[in-house]
Amino acid sequence: MKKIKSILIANRGEIAIRISETAKKMGIKVYGIKTLKEPSAYYLQFMDEIIDFTEIISDIPEFLDIDRLIYSIKEYNIDAVHPGYGYLAENPYFAQKCIDEKIIFIGPTPDAIYKLGNKTIAKQIASRNNVPLLEGSNGNIKNPKHAKQVAEKIGYPVILKAASGGGGRGMRIVESVDQIEKMFKMAQNESEKAFSDSSVFMEKYVKNPRHIEFQILADHYGNIIHLGERECSIQRKHQKLIEESPSSALNDDLREKMGNSAIQIAKASNYRNAGTVEFLLDEFGDYYFMEMNTRIQVEHPVTEMVTGLDLIEWQIKIAQGEKLTMTQQEIKFNGWAIECRINAEDVQSGFSPYLGTIEKIQVSKGKTCRFDTGVTDGSIVTPYFDSMLAKLICTGETREKAITNTLAALNKLYIKGIKTTIPFHKAVLNNPKFISGDISTSFIEKDMKKLYFQEDDEELIAAFWATINHNAELDKENETYVDYEKGKIITPWLLNKRLKSM
Amino acid sequence: MDINGKIFKNFQSRVERLKTQNGPDKVKKQHDKGKLHARERIALLFDKNSFEELDAFVTSATPDTGFGKIDEAFGDGVVIGYGRINGRLVYVYSQDFTVMGGSLGSVHARKIMKVQDLALRVGAPIIGLIDSGGARIQEGVASLSGYAGIFHRNVQSSGIIPQISVILGPAAGGAVYSPALTDFVFMTKKTSYMFVTGPDVVREVLNEEVSFEDLGGADIHAKKSGVAHFIYEDEENTLLAVKKLLSFFPSNNLENPPFVETNDKKDRIDEKLRAIVPDDTNKPYDIKLIIDLLIDKGTFFEVSEHFASNLVVGLARLNGKAIGIVANQPKVLAGVLDINSSLKGARFIRFCDAFNIPLLTLEDVPGFLPGIDQEHNGLIKHGAKLLFAYSEASVPKITVILRKSYGGAFCVMNSKNLGGDYNFAWPSAEIAVMGPEGAVSILYRRELAKSDNPKQLKKELAAKYRQEIANPYIADEKGYIDEVIDPSETRKKLIIAFESLENKHIEPPARKHANIPL
Amino acid sequence: MMFSKSKIKNQKFIACTSGKKKYEFINPKDLTIKSGKDKEPIEITSDKSGFVFITWKNKKYQVEIIDKNQNQYEIAVNGVTYSISVESPFSYKRKKYLDKNVPVSKIERIQAPMPGKIVEFLVEENQEIKAGDPLLILEAMKMQNEIISSITGKIKNINFGPEDNVMKDDILIEVEK
Repeated sequence: MKKIKSILIANRGEIAIRISETAKKMGIKVYGIKTLKEPSAYYLQFMDEIIDFTEIISDIPEFLDIDRLIYSIKEYNIDAVHPGYGYLAENPYFAQKCIDEKIIFIGPTPDAIYKLGNKTIAKQIASRNNVPLLEGSNGNIKNPKHAKQVAEKIGYPVILKAASGGGGRGMRIVESVDQIEKMFKMAQNESEKAFSDSSVFMEKYVKNPRHIEFQILADHYGNIIHLGERECSIQRKHQKLIEESPSSALNDDLREKMGNSAIQIAKASNYRNAGTVEFLLDEFGDYYFMEMNTRIQVEHPVTEMVTGLDLIEWQIKIAQGEKLTMTQQEIKFNGWAIECRINAEDVQSGFSPYLGTIEKIQVSKGKTCRFDTGVTDGSIVTPYFDSMLAKLICTGETREKAITNTLAALNKLYIKGIKTTIPFHKAVLNNPKFISGDISTSFIEKDMKKLYFQEDDEELIAAFWATINHNAELDKENETYVDYEKGKIITPWLLNKRLKSM
Repeated sequence: MDINGKIFKNFQSRVERLKTQNGPDKVKKQHDKGKLHARERIALLFDKNSFEELDAFVTSATPDTGFGKIDEAFGDGVVIGYGRINGRLVYVYSQDFTVMGGSLGSVHARKIMKVQDLALRVGAPIIGLIDSGGARIQEGVASLSGYAGIFHRNVQSSGIIPQISVILGPAAGGAVYSPALTDFVFMTKKTSYMFVTGPDVVREVLNEEVSFEDLGGADIHAKKSGVAHFIYEDEENTLLAVKKLLSFFPSNNLENPPFVETNDKKDRIDEKLRAIVPDDTNKPYDIKLIIDLLIDKGTFFEVSEHFASNLVVGLARLNGKAIGIVANQPKVLAGVLDINSSLKGARFIRFCDAFNIPLLTLEDVPGFLPGIDQEHNGLIKHGAKLLFAYSEASVPKITVILRKSYGGAFCVMNSKNLGGDYNFAWPSAEIAVMGPEGAVSILYRRELAKSDNPKQLKKELAAKYRQEIANPYIADEKGYIDEVIDPSETRKKLIIAFESLENKHIEPPARKHANIPL
Repeated sequence: MMFSKSKIKNQKFIACTSGKKKYEFINPKDLTIKSGKDKEPIEITSDKSGFVFITWKNKKYQVEIIDKNQNQYEIAVNGVTYSISVESPFSYKRKKYLDKNVPVSKIERIQAPMPGKIVEFLVEENQEIKAGDPLLILEAMKMQNEIISSITGKIKNINFGPEDNVMKDDILIEVEK
């Protein structure tokens, strides 16, 4: 395998910047793609060279346009492509096409992407390797009647999921029989829209579970290690908002057990490069395999912060055929890391997307605080992309310390022009249950009385600010000097003409 | 004169009676309805102690009909007079709802006509503060003829002095036509109504149930009918806005608009202007962001904000001088011209023209709105009004083409041959007979029919067309626009250009009046 | 951040929140806020990036005007927004009178909360609905969003069709209460 000298980053936003930074550090030339939807995006400033897609006339979104991407990679003679997350990151066809065209795809093999990406096959792999699973439909649900039958067999509540989905799209929880038909249709519809595949499967729904995932690294020589867990239980409608590593729910035994299960899955699917195995962990310490994500995850920085490894660097190293230089025993976890996703969302109105221009963004980075951002002053938040703008990652020796540091950083993080999830994060990090580590995926619905943090006198301050500004404006209106006399001074030439034409 | 003598006592007792007539009980009556008293309104509007009342002591006429009772009060339900607003002479009439419901009797009407005559005689603006139950039934035809007299004076004054109507209570039946004849109509939310026939009649005749608010409230007139140009939450803000609007107008059609000193630099370059118009021609943006960056900071005063929002019109100041702005709003319906926006634009342009307010046009228009509904309702004649108004206006007229300028809309939006004095374009401008997609489907009909993938071919051809034809440089080279300018320098360019046009005059042809396609 | 002192003395303002709470300020430009019986000074500072901070009783708040329409303000304090209407003593009285006496419109207009594309309508004209019922699905930011009715009533008008693109605040459905 040849050494990678240049990479096309087939993505945007913070992950494009993140990849570029590591690649540049490794002496690799990075290419980025400029799109018509955001021709002056921040990430473009981090590219060595920009490939212009603004003139392209196509209905396919730029970062999904396989033919065009392949063509550009060939045209610019680029060695490798990094898909980031989302878009083509888990598209086996794209990965295969890269192999056919002798382009290095920084990620797993098409075969692994396909098998693990299809949740039905993924579950078969897990069950064959004795990794615990939740009861489910064992395949796709054919019609509403079928949905009803399976649900009755495994018992309500059940959850419907898109077979080729991820990130919460196409997922529906069904509490009782009277909702099943409607929910099935909605899940199908959403799945079709999001992934061009309406296949939906069903499984038992575990109440109050924790979301625990394991980061895997695998090289081309059969070496597989895990880099510990991440807990992503703070989620809303299956969208993660806060992630941490390690998890307060795991002890060394459980970590080893779950880590081994994760490695089992990777081994059985002949996995290479970085990947994540997701589990549900219930109140009794029993865990169930959910899925394996065959890409770099949004929340990878928390693992980086506690292991001291650069995951993007390892993705590239593995892709160019390097061997893992560390064994499982050598992986040490230091301290605690928490990541808050800063999204352009209005928490006060149900997390609805908030569009606008980021006038100013101010963050105080430091030893314990990392800020991975895709936006800067003047960036425009459009409806065309995901609402995530940036990630704030803070560390501490202990969980308490990490929480304190995160709160301190959040209190100094100011964004002007749009609303973000910052007040939400403050509310979570001040919540006694969160502080005690007693969390589950239904934390937001169950344990938060208010979804955003308010100081006691905030409303008073708001009222004052409105009033003083209004007062100033009224005074300005009343004190404006209007010079009427000047309007009466008209040159004799014009006045004469005006009079004549009356 | 002996101030203890009988003569002076007589005089004083009348003054006392007038004071008690407008005493706290009457004021409270209005306040309890969420409204201000006629005199409080005047006090808010005029500079301190500057108001001089006329005809305060007139008494109501005795009705010939013998029907009903007449209040024995001074003034006949309307306060008239003159005073200073920001130091300038303005005439006013303010209807007093506490006297016979502000109903219009013959004396009441005569008083209004009196200030109308005076305002026209001295060339000063007039403001009507309207809060009236309508015609005074007891007085019959005398009251009706009063209305006619007021309407006639509205029309006679039109285009000579600015006339503003402020609806602060009911205005029903014939009473609505006086405001409709004036230049601008203000309404206060929830306490003012305008309709020709009220909810009762609607119920009787059509058997339809409708509330005052839904039939003729401020929201309806601001959003749906377009009758109200400005609406405000309360009377204090309404009257403050009246003052603000007035500060843009000259006293009459011979004077120029007043001047307001600004600390905004004349040659301010604004880089942000380069970034607002998106490269993608189908992407919307807010034209008001551009307006705000061009004019003296914070001076934009939008007219008819909620009606036909696809066209933004309003007053502003450029280097201290008032201008009228007409701008397509790409954020709403892509800024397309339709019946309502044509009407809104035409009326505003004619007002500016009448009162020597120069016009700035910001153009980004995909064309006229296609559709059966639009065509059947007379888009042709209504669109022609906008065309007529632009063409007829003799004030300085400058156009800046920001992006799209296609077809008929290019002509209508103050093109050079329509009489535009200076026409600038930004580099992002696209000037052509029609949009790229439309043009290529006609030009390449055969090629497209033959193609295996007509959709793709059409897109490619359109892109080529956009690059080669739909740019400002062809028009620039042929002289149909004056200059392609850097967006960041637009303010400077506009100030210099308007300054050069200060003495512009066009001799109107000798005619009674033009025949605008009404 | 400078506020020149008002020429008018004893100006009273009443700031009303959307939650019907009210705060009274007399001469706000004096830069004090009453806290119990005492007046506590307020300090307004702005940094070079344009962030404005209010410090009161040893606490620092980041403030921002998000939107303003006449006397209606949308203020963000530390990223949380508040709807405030600033009233004079008279307009406050008027507001209270109107809240009590003027019937609110019978038609509730359901507006698009964000720009997007309509996937499908889940209701039909003349259909009776209750608060909480889903009305339509709007796709924005690649997510399908259920638009829920905030009131109980009857569907009077549906203004768009499936696949239509809508702008923020477009009136999608009119519901008769």
